[in-house]
Amino acid sequence: MRETNVRAIGLTLTIVYAIAIVWLYVRQPQTVAELTGSLTSTVGAYHVDRQAFDDGLRFFREDKFEPARAAFHRADPAEQDARTQFYIAYSYYRQGWGRIYDDDALFKPGLERVIKAIALAPQGRLVVDDPNLQMHSADELKAELEAGLRTDASDLNPLGVFRRRK
Amino acid sequence: MTGTAEAVFLPLVFLTVALLGGVRVTDRVALLPPPLFTLVLGLLFLGVLVKSGALAPHRLVNASRSALANVNGAVVIVATFFASVQAFNLATPEAGLPRLLCDVFLVVLLLNTLAASPDRVRVLRSLMVIFGSAFVLKFIVLAALADPEGGLLKRSLLALLEGLTLGTLTQVTFHPATGYIAFFTLVLFMIGLTLLPSNVPQWPQVTIDGSARIASSDDRLTSRE
Repeated sequence: MRETNVRAIGLTLTIVYAIAIVWLYVRQPQTVAELTGSLTSTVGAYHVDRQAFDDGLRFFREDKFEPARAAFHRADPAEQDARTQFYIAYSYYRQGWGRIYDDDALFKPGLERVIKAIALAPQGRLVVDDPNLQMHSADELKAELEAGLRTDASDLNPLGVFRRRK
Repeated sequence: MTGTAEAVFLPLVFLTVALLGGVRVTDRVALLPPPLFTLVLGLLFLGVLVKSGALAPHRLVNASRSALANVNGAVVIVATFFASVQAFNLATPEAGLPRLLCDVFLVVLLLNTLAASPDRVRVLRSLMVIFGSAFVLKFIVLAALADPEGGLLKRSLLALLEGLTLGTLTQVTFHPATGYIAFFTLVLFMIGLTLLPSNVPQWPQVTIDGSARIASSDDRLTSRE
């Protein structure tokens, strides 16, 4: 092989490898599923498992939040679908919501998920048109989760027992 | 240095070091980008390589080479820089007092090496000692102190460090795989450094017909290759 060809091939390989390294550092995939999911979503070929998503939605509407999350994880193993991540966050919210107090152990992962959903949505705007939900946008859900995690004087308001789960 | 080594082997070796240098395995795998200070260390390190002749930039980029060869050469230099940055990222402790002390120590050591202007072989030996010591400090000594279960080494170190608050020394506990990856990465880095085109000084050479001439660095390298 001519040296020029070797040099050209080497340069191409190096550029591709360098781009892959930068991409890995930016995306930080944790599993092979996340790695392949991130790759396919980069080229616009990523799809959630429709059957698993529908199962998750059914469980979610029946207030069976843990099975719902398991189904949503199955539907979106690479965690690349904003809508599925929104529902996972919402399931944490509904499960952690309490009339007297909110469960921080559930609100924290919920907040992480909704932030992820916002990051995945185009221009960070995510609106889910689902009549079963009282909050349709990821921004509303994020604000609600943040408010639940915040400790302030309003936590002592006795009228708080009359608030409703969204 | 062959075109294959320059265009394929060296960039891939150094980019692999740049990739693996940030790998930290805990309950998840994290890829840590280099802290800003390691960029400073990397730049000083590149200066040490050039000054000692372990890296000869003029053999990688010069007017007599083709444009493509010059691009390949520039890529090797850039890849060497990023690999050294990540090697420092890997070898220095993650946080706290050990990190501060290690960073200061490395800066002083690199400045001292620059001032002393040792030759290529001495610099490579010295770098092996620096990275080897840093590896032992981070992945054996500090890891033993951070180990929640603790072993004989931890008990011995605690006895030695009696009276010192361990809060200033304790580091993140990594999965043992991190140490193995780090060792492999540093060895790969050292291999890459030894393969860099070096600046060999000229020396007199007697030809077959008895006439003396000055051998160029390229003569010596060609015969070695």
